[in-house]
Amino acid sequence: MIGLPVVLAVGALLFAIGLYGVLSQTNAIMVIMGVELMLGAAMLNAVGFMRYAWPDAAGGAFFVLIAMTLMAVEATVGFALVISTFRHRRTAELDDLTELRG
Amino acid sequence: MSAASPFAIVALALGGAALLALLEQLIAERRLAPAALAASAARTLRQPLSTPEVKDAWLYHGAPGLLLLGAILALAMVPWAPGFRGLDVGAGAILYSGALAYVTPAVFMAGWGAGRPLQVVGGFRFIALMLAFQMPLVMAVTAVGAPAESLRPSAIVDAQHAVPLALSQPLALLLFAPAAMAVAFVAPFDLPQAEGELGGGAFASYTGLDAAIVALAQKVLLLGAAGMTTTLFLGGWHGPLLPPALWTAAKTLAVAALMLLAGRLLPRTRIDRLLPFAWKVAIPLALLAIVWSGLVTLLFYR
Amino acid sequence: MSDLGTALVFWPGAAIMLLTGVYVFRTSSMARAGLLLLAALGVEGLVFLALAAEFLGVLQLLMMSGEMVIMVFFMVMFMPDPGGLMGMDMTHDKRRSAVAAAAVAVALAAVAVATDWPAAVVTGETPDLRQIGFEVMGRSMFSFLFAAVTILFAMVGAILLAKQGGRLGLPAPGSDRPADDGDDGERPA
Repeated sequence: MIGLPVVLAVGALLFAIGLYGVLSQTNAIMVIMGVELMLGAAMLNAVGFMRYAWPDAAGGAFFVLIAMTLMAVEATVGFALVISTFRHRRTAELDDLTELRG
Repeated sequence: MSAASPFAIVALALGGAALLALLEQLIAERRLAPAALAASAARTLRQPLSTPEVKDAWLYHGAPGLLLLGAILALAMVPWAPGFRGLDVGAGAILYSGALAYVTPAVFMAGWGAGRPLQVVGGFRFIALMLAFQMPLVMAVTAVGAPAESLRPSAIVDAQHAVPLALSQPLALLLFAPAAMAVAFVAPFDLPQAEGELGGGAFASYTGLDAAIVALAQKVLLLGAAGMTTTLFLGGWHGPLLPPALWTAAKTLAVAALMLLAGRLLPRTRIDRLLPFAWKVAIPLALLAIVWSGLVTLLFYR
Repeated sequence: MSDLGTALVFWPGAAIMLLTGVYVFRTSSMARAGLLLLAALGVEGLVFLALAAEFLGVLQLLMMSGEMVIMVFFMVMFMPDPGGLMGMDMTHDKRRSAVAAAAVAVALAAVAVATDWPAAVVTGETPDLRQIGFEVMGRSMFSFLFAAVTILFAMVGAILLAKQGGRLGLPAPGSDRPADDGDDGERPA
């Protein structure tokens, strides 16, 4: 029987998978993908709350809308940073980007 | 509010695709020979799949399926008659763009899976083209949604019972039609996968069942594009004498014929001209169309 | 959606989301990683549809395809081995991050299961398009404006970051202004 705890548990697992990606990947773009998964998990939680606990809270839908927007914005700025870093350092690997200068 | 069963939509997709293939043969070769079409289709289906030379088989062979899925889902958004409204979802007009958006990964998968340089380039060119064209597509749909006060396709058709939206929103129509044509691989916007360009583009090395599915998906996309143009801009099933389904069919066929004729008569636009046009001209015009639609809504549709 | 319909979409959908999410970080082909992420977040859109959030599900489906295609684009540009043919290991601290992720999962799931949530609602009349519109234009207008301005700043900032030659662009041919690549760290006045 699907209820709020089930949806939240699935969201927790998805969040953990995203966290694993963020912590373990060396390339900046894979880290961005991990963050996207984490935001997806948050959105799933919000939709679960809307469906099973507070159905007339349109603020939850707005939260999901803003989270989707944030996914796009974070990816945009992240990719711009990767382009800029690649132009100067010829690498997008986070392990090589540990010093502020050269 | 009667939703149609999936079987009806798939049957409609197959029948419509066959009809459009005949229409294309009529326009291209000025003759009507269904037997020749059937023979060439059978010949394509009998070819073996090009498995040994493919670099990423999962993506390569999965791409036609995704393409067809997106095409049929897009077609399911089009309402044909008051009794057969397709998948009448509340946000149907946006789900049409959403289904079309899955054409982009499918073309990319086809190009990348084949692994040959020109096909990868074809896939990436299509990504660039669709990123640019998706904005005017979705904004034109938004511009149409405002006067109708709904994104449900059947409600948009009902809002045109007096005047088709093409008359009050010509800018949105002029932006929507080329964008839909670009997604449906119809010339003059089909540069990334046209024959004779880029060695045939992303779909060049498909043989056998894959090629047949790709051809079918192209026709279904054209049918969906023509049907959605009819729904959003030409008044759908409204008309004086004939039954509603016949009106929709006639208008859709007319729009499809116009699109195919445009492909025959106009030269293919170069991608380095098409992209700046899409970004620098089409998107500001689409924003203008939204503002215009707001004005029209406040003045006339209230 | 009926209970059976919701269950039919939710359970396979959740399984697909989690499996493809894990495989995003285990595959070595970058194109496949991006497309697997597309599968995960696209199926999440279908799950939203099953959980009676119609507009949000459609929006998620629409946005994810465009985003993931862009992500694949960038991965092929900037990764050392986009085809995954050389089998490089692109991870660090795998065990520690797996332990941290598992601990977070257990903690969050424990909170989810152990909390006393309000009683389950049977009808599930989630907000439809009109209500979301009124919410956005009414009570949440300030947040909406803030988000809009943030998007604008992000777009402008991203373009400035990615411009060739830095903020001021490439110097015109013949001028003796050095290109502001940022290498020397000095900002032109």
